[in-house]
Amino acid sequence: MKEPDALDSNAADKWEVQLRKGCLELAILAALWDGRRYGLEILRRLEIDSALIVSEGTVYPLLSRLKALGMVSSEWVESDGGHPRKYYALTAEGKRRALEMATIWVRFSSSMSKLLSPLGKETG
Amino acid sequence: MTLTYKAQQQQQQKIDAYLDRLRRRLRGFDPSAVGEIVEELRSHILDRAAQSEDMSGEAKPAAIDTALAALGSPEELADQYVTDNLLARAEISRSPLRILRSLFRWGSLSVAGFFVLLGSLVGYFFGVVFMLVAVAKLFHPHTAGLWTFPSGRDDFEFSFRLGFGSVPSGGREVLGWWIVPIGWLGGGALVMLTTYIAVGFVRRYRRSLVLPRP
Repeated sequence: MKEPDALDSNAADKWEVQLRKGCLELAILAALWDGRRYGLEILRRLEIDSALIVSEGTVYPLLSRLKALGMVSSEWVESDGGHPRKYYALTAEGKRRALEMATIWVRFSSSMSKLLSPLGKETG
Repeated sequence: MTLTYKAQQQQQQKIDAYLDRLRRRLRGFDPSAVGEIVEELRSHILDRAAQSEDMSGEAKPAAIDTALAALGSPEELADQYVTDNLLARAEISRSPLRILRSLFRWGSLSVAGFFVLLGSLVGYFFGVVFMLVAVAKLFHPHTAGLWTFPSGRDDFEFSFRLGFGSVPSGGREVLGWWIVPIGWLGGGALVMLTTYIAVGFVRRYRRSLVLPRP
């Protein structure tokens, strides 16, 4: 038997994982907004500018999916590290999609924040 | 930090072993796509190791181990590619067999996928039965077709018969020769409709924001 507290925190963790996964696509599109980047750069960007702690592998299949959907394009570029890197850039469709998702996100998060404001004192 | 030739080789072997496991699991991709995935990840591992060498002064062998561990298991990583690839191909495919293959995979991953798979199986099954009966009628004119049989007092049941064996007593054939055009058109339409709906679900699922894997 699990302690009730352990069970609760487990469910909260799962919810957080789902939440992060749902945001990841938008986060990646946003990380490409100001120019092309390669996978590891995108990862670092996600770690620095957001709380999306990503399993490093997850980003690559997702990038390939975004490419298949026509949201990003990619090209191989020689690097000074001695091996080529695959750079990704937003397509016109990707930009449109990112703006659309960002609009929804802003609307959603501001109404959520309003709803959550009474809880503010408790959560610090 | 300089490494002996032997240590360098060992690191190279570790990376190759990881990428080999990944490659073996990437079924259904054409070779150029597999090459692209593998090279991108190799580039990631080398960059990632170089970065943690610079930042934390980690020795190279350890840095490569860290990079591989952070990527997760190669099988899980490959599965994430495979699932999306299968669904992507189902989306542009009109072949029931390919669609079913993708749906089996999707069905094993999510509840939604399971129900789409179930619905598609039923749709294809009846479509194929319709068409089979239409063909069988040509060879067994007296016994093949859509029959009704009394079952219970006021009840009766429908039964598709391919015409093998004799008809149980009390049976009555419903459509006669009409089963041939109706079976072909109806069966074909059912198969097409099932394909259309399944592809629609796959498309909607792939367009949704949630990732294809838990």
